[in-house]
Amino acid sequence: MLLLLMQAGQTATQMQAYVPSWVSSLAAWVALGFLGFVGIAILYYVFTGRIDLSGLISEPSGEASMSRFQLLVFTFVIAASLFLIIASAGPPSFPKEIPNGILVLLGISSSSYLVSKGIQHSSPEGLSGRGPQVTIKADRSETKFGGPSVQFQADVVGLTDESVTWAIDPIDFGSISSTGLYRPPDAQSPPAGPTTVTVTATAKEDVSVSDKETIKVS
Amino acid sequence: MFTSTITWLAQTEVFIFLVGLGAIIVYRLLTGEINTNYLLYGRKKGGGRYFSPERLQLLLFTLGTAMFYLNDVLQHRTSGILPDVSPQTLALLGGSHALYLGGKAYMMLFKKSSKGE
Repeated sequence: MLLLLMQAGQTATQMQAYVPSWVSSLAAWVALGFLGFVGIAILYYVFTGRIDLSGLISEPSGEASMSRFQLLVFTFVIAASLFLIIASAGPPSFPKEIPNGILVLLGISSSSYLVSKGIQHSSPEGLSGRGPQVTIKADRSETKFGGPSVQFQADVVGLTDESVTWAIDPIDFGSISSTGLYRPPDAQSPPAGPTTVTVTATAKEDVSVSDKETIKVS
Repeated sequence: MFTSTITWLAQTEVFIFLVGLGAIIVYRLLTGEINTNYLLYGRKKGGGRYFSPERLQLLLFTLGTAMFYLNDVLQHRTSGILPDVSPQTLALLGGSHALYLGGKAYMMLFKKSSKGE
């Protein structure tokens, strides 16, 4: 929007060479009026709280984010600098080129924000703002009758009590311990064919929070 | 005459928008209406919080770089050219960000909270 507004005045001058002056002036007035109206509306909504800025630099967990903060600072600094340079030149003119250093600076700032989000979403703690969650992991996706056990692990986020209860479906198809160790049925009594077993971990503190994982027993 | 009026109006609109938005954000940051809780705290794997020196150094480098650059712009504002950022400053800022991201990755992905945290 900043660039559009600053270029609107210049465009009016450039257009005079090709079209009647009243057409270029009218176009510039319309563009300025529209962008000015949008700018005032945004400021009004921000001021009255209809555009909520309370979480402007916050993570989903509710904690303030340094990566968002530095991105905000650099965005404002570069925008203000551009305005100062354009407005102070006589006559006002857009810089012929943006220095590479500025582009690198904005690149560092933005990529740092993106990498920070990547790290955060790689960890259950980073997602804690999405409400309580249980996430199951297994050390293998299939086993055999009488074969090796499968160790399940449940990560609980957003609850004080991180313990879970384990259950399997079908209920009599092997067994699962309180630590999430699943033992497949013995080889002596296999059913007709491969079976998919659903393992469920449910948070003890909140039984509405659970996660499921399947394992193939063949 | 029309052109100069349009240019003046465009500058005024941008000025009001930038200053207005900036003033609202700074005011709300200072009064706490924009959340700044735990800005200098990180999370460990397991959920514990810790005071984070890597965030503090990033905050200082960010504000320092921003102020020096703005000062540079103010001194050369009539040149019509955006001042460049020196490679040394970029290297320092890049190192600061790398330290922040490295510290965050280590604490969040590898460093487990101990009891009581």
